[in-house]
Amino acid sequence: MRAFGYTVAKDPADAVRLVTTTPGATFIAGGTDLLNLMKDGAQAHDHLVDLNRLDMAEVRAQGAGVRIGALARMRHVAEHRRVREGFPVLAQALLASASPQLRNMAAIGGNLLQRTRCGYFRDSGSACNKREPGSGCPALEGYSRGHAILGGSDHCIATHPSDLAVALLALDASVHVLGPDGARRIPIADFHLLPGSTPERENALRRGELITHVEVPDSHAAAHSRYLKLRDRATFEFAVVSVAAALELRGGVVRDVRLAFGGVATKPWRSAEAEAALRGKPLTAANVAEAGRALVRGAAPRPDNAFKVELVQRAMAGVLAELGGPR
Amino acid sequence: MSELVGRAVDRVDGRAKVTGGARYAADNPVPGALQGFLVGSTIARGEITGIDTSAARAHPGVVAVYTHRDMPRLTAPPFPYLKGFIPLQDTRIHHSGQPVALVLAETVEQAHEAAALVEVSYRAEQPKAVIEDALDEVYLPAPFRDRPNEIVRGAGEAALAGAEVRFEADYSSPTHHHNPIEPHATTAVWEGDRLTLHETAQGVNLTRGTVAAALGLPPQNVRVISPYLGGGFGAKGPLWPHTILTAAAARLVGRPVKLVLSRAQMFTSNGHRAQFRQNLRLGATRRGVLTAIVDTSTAQLSRTDEAIFNRSDSAHLLYACPNVHIRHRGVRLDVATSSYMRSPETTAHFGLETALDELSYELGLDPLELRLRNYTEVNPETGQRYTGKHLDACYRMAAEAFGWARRNPRPGSTKDGEEYVGWGMATETHSHGAMPATAAVSVDAEGRVLLRIATQDIGTGTYTVISQVAADALGMPLDRITARIGDTALPEAGLSAASATVASVTGPVHRAATAVRDAVVAKAVADRRSPLFGLSPERVVTEHGHLFAADDRRRRDSYRDVVARGGQPVEATGSVPNTPGHSFGAVFLEVRVHARYGSVRVTRVVTAHDLGRVLNRRTARGQVIGGVNWGIGYALMEHTVLDRRTARVVNPSLSSYLVPVCADAPSVETLFVDRPDPGSTALGAKGFGETPITGVPAAIGNAVFHATGRRVRDLPITQDKLL
Repeated sequence: MRAFGYTVAKDPADAVRLVTTTPGATFIAGGTDLLNLMKDGAQAHDHLVDLNRLDMAEVRAQGAGVRIGALARMRHVAEHRRVREGFPVLAQALLASASPQLRNMAAIGGNLLQRTRCGYFRDSGSACNKREPGSGCPALEGYSRGHAILGGSDHCIATHPSDLAVALLALDASVHVLGPDGARRIPIADFHLLPGSTPERENALRRGELITHVEVPDSHAAAHSRYLKLRDRATFEFAVVSVAAALELRGGVVRDVRLAFGGVATKPWRSAEAEAALRGKPLTAANVAEAGRALVRGAAPRPDNAFKVELVQRAMAGVLAELGGPR
Repeated sequence: MSELVGRAVDRVDGRAKVTGGARYAADNPVPGALQGFLVGSTIARGEITGIDTSAARAHPGVVAVYTHRDMPRLTAPPFPYLKGFIPLQDTRIHHSGQPVALVLAETVEQAHEAAALVEVSYRAEQPKAVIEDALDEVYLPAPFRDRPNEIVRGAGEAALAGAEVRFEADYSSPTHHHNPIEPHATTAVWEGDRLTLHETAQGVNLTRGTVAAALGLPPQNVRVISPYLGGGFGAKGPLWPHTILTAAAARLVGRPVKLVLSRAQMFTSNGHRAQFRQNLRLGATRRGVLTAIVDTSTAQLSRTDEAIFNRSDSAHLLYACPNVHIRHRGVRLDVATSSYMRSPETTAHFGLETALDELSYELGLDPLELRLRNYTEVNPETGQRYTGKHLDACYRMAAEAFGWARRNPRPGSTKDGEEYVGWGMATETHSHGAMPATAAVSVDAEGRVLLRIATQDIGTGTYTVISQVAADALGMPLDRITARIGDTALPEAGLSAASATVASVTGPVHRAATAVRDAVVAKAVADRRSPLFGLSPERVVTEHGHLFAADDRRRRDSYRDVVARGGQPVEATGSVPNTPGHSFGAVFLEVRVHARYGSVRVTRVVTAHDLGRVLNRRTARGQVIGGVNWGIGYALMEHTVLDRRTARVVNPSLSSYLVPVCADAPSVETLFVDRPDPGSTALGAKGFGETPITGVPAAIGNAVFHATGRRVRDLPITQDKLL
């Protein structure tokens, strides 16, 4: 890790100005991912602009929903009563993430920006199109257990690691940012990008843009939601497969359903096809199975991760069963 | 005598460890020390064609960047240097991560950044990373340290051909890395031609001799200091190149140098458990008496050595079987050198204990009953009766505590909610070493005891156990004992490896302490000023720092007073040889396998062990808890991944090389037979540390089979294998 400059931002506009005008600058909040990336040589910055003094950590009800400041720590959000009651999937996704120590440090904005756990990306001695565009992707023919079966390209099949983002995607949240050209709102579905031929571009943020908060709208489905995370040990590990599901049933018929997935795709993955297979229909085993098939249609598995095609369907069925579907 | 030995005495170094008072190898500030950092090869096979160090040397704080062009010529020492070559001596690359340059800078950060600026060009050749890519290159290597790789007892193949029942299966386990939480660290300080090393070493004396050989020094010119170790597990037993390179560089640069391996470097720098495949063929009678074991295994080797550590000890030692044929084969690959890793026989033991479970189903026998039908009181290797073997008691105790008799043998017979419940068991065993050792004990005029011995505490509790032994032998309270270990300036002792420490040092400590006691008693009874004057020494008892007349406890003296009157400390040394041996155990456990997702949890574990006399129930229990949890990691998650095209480790970090976390750790009921082995001079104790992992992976696999009917023979048992 090379030496870097460090400035504490006074307010959000100051932070944006500092990062925009200082060469090689970026924001730091909890730093739980950024510092590892810098130490591992996966990312280098000449200057860090510290956000931790900014007044952006509040979680509060706002209209028909909740507004979560970008500096709110994962633990704080997970424990917030409004979140637990209105958005169980969100609280569960946060508590299924990382470790208590990390949840005390890591902030919501940074969580959405955390980078892939792909071993080739994290190893500065390996090629990686995400880290060094054009250098190649060893995962395509290498070790790909943790990699995507959906949304990959010839350039990258790395999965996005955030549990929070998967839950927010199921909740139709929006990401609010402040940049040199002012504030704007980005629907969470548009926030993370597919790798395509530019896997180094992972999100819709423009240079200098700062996430200020996230808004999550209330819904019946949101209040009846659940997060399931399958992984290779009991805690403190990223998902092999995860599912965020929100469901509104009326008389056994699916009135509203949102299904988002982690561990299987190059970005937090919402499956409109799986949802369409269920919406307006009774939640039967046959319909759930059809939704599972719709979810994995177009999947591009590799030898190490082919099991995810089956496992993600089972996970989806399992979490729907817990929400009132067929056992 | 025995007040402390055998009890669950708290760790005497516990407070120092939890308050930061314990100074580990990298904790010692050495004035003027430079910080070293190694640059590793990014290719696994080929030649260095050029190294440009100019940018690194121009980096702020950088004092030197050494490569093969300017390092002094060093001699690859013999065992325990396993690597076969020393890096930075020529241009050949034998594995990914092989050091190609050493940066010395004023700060750690400067050294790390400069290391990234060293530009190395290579002529790369296609490497081979895994056994599967070189199956036609498998061979039977020459004996390693006089231990042959082919072991024959009776006629295995013929007995197999004639067996009433035959069973055959293939098992495998991947590469594992030790991953002690404390990284390898070394600080080299030269004064003239004398070298002091603050070193993460499981054996200070072995390290001294090996470093001296590499640098061409007489051993007495090297002092190695290692008072505490944050885990070794075999990774810090042999000597590895970074220590030699750091010492050589410190001499070259003329300043002390400290070097700490990064976590990623620990995946290529200090050995590992080799990738392993095993074909097992068993012959038995219909009643379940083993008539043949034919065990043919293949371990991954490096290009520069051919030592095999994954030995099939259990196949020829654990059960009574007249016909055994073992072949430890290897295959050379473009990977780093493997090594000892707690417990080396576990790879092959997993196969044997799984195969016995499979055989038990073929025979319709309870898996425990099958083992009892092949029980041996005789060491099959020597033909000698064991001086103390109570494995039968272990089976009985653990089975009863677990409730094994209630087991419905039919796989898949128990479901609780969405989980299948399975019960499995396996035998545990490990052969322990015994190494020569000398202890010195002295009592001063304040009644304080100094115990000195160049053994090590690798986290297992050596400080505590030897303090207990000395305290009891003297009749002193524990808090009067100060133990000094981990320094070649102390009386010589062996490596803390092969579960040998207790077996090796207990006798010498006890003898030295007893000699001091006897000397103090002799002084008292000969001294007119002592209330004990004139007593026969046998009529004196020592307790709590005092000397009493056995039949009149009002007549008493104290260590402090006797030594003070004598005017100088009373000191004695002791050496008592011991013999290698075996400790045994049984593990019974329960798993729950999710019917929908295939995920496995270990929910209940009962163990019983025979380690001879238990010197400290707390530290012994600690070894069992550690072994069980490592066994869980072994069975369910641990796996070093090598990219098959580049032979580079893909997961060199603790976030990607998974080990169990607290939430994976079940309650463990730890039972001990606790009967002294009359054949052991260590107060009847046997070496034990490595025993309680050995059976756990097989017991888990056996329980998974019982739960689901699915037999997973290739570790780890990840959920995808049970969908």
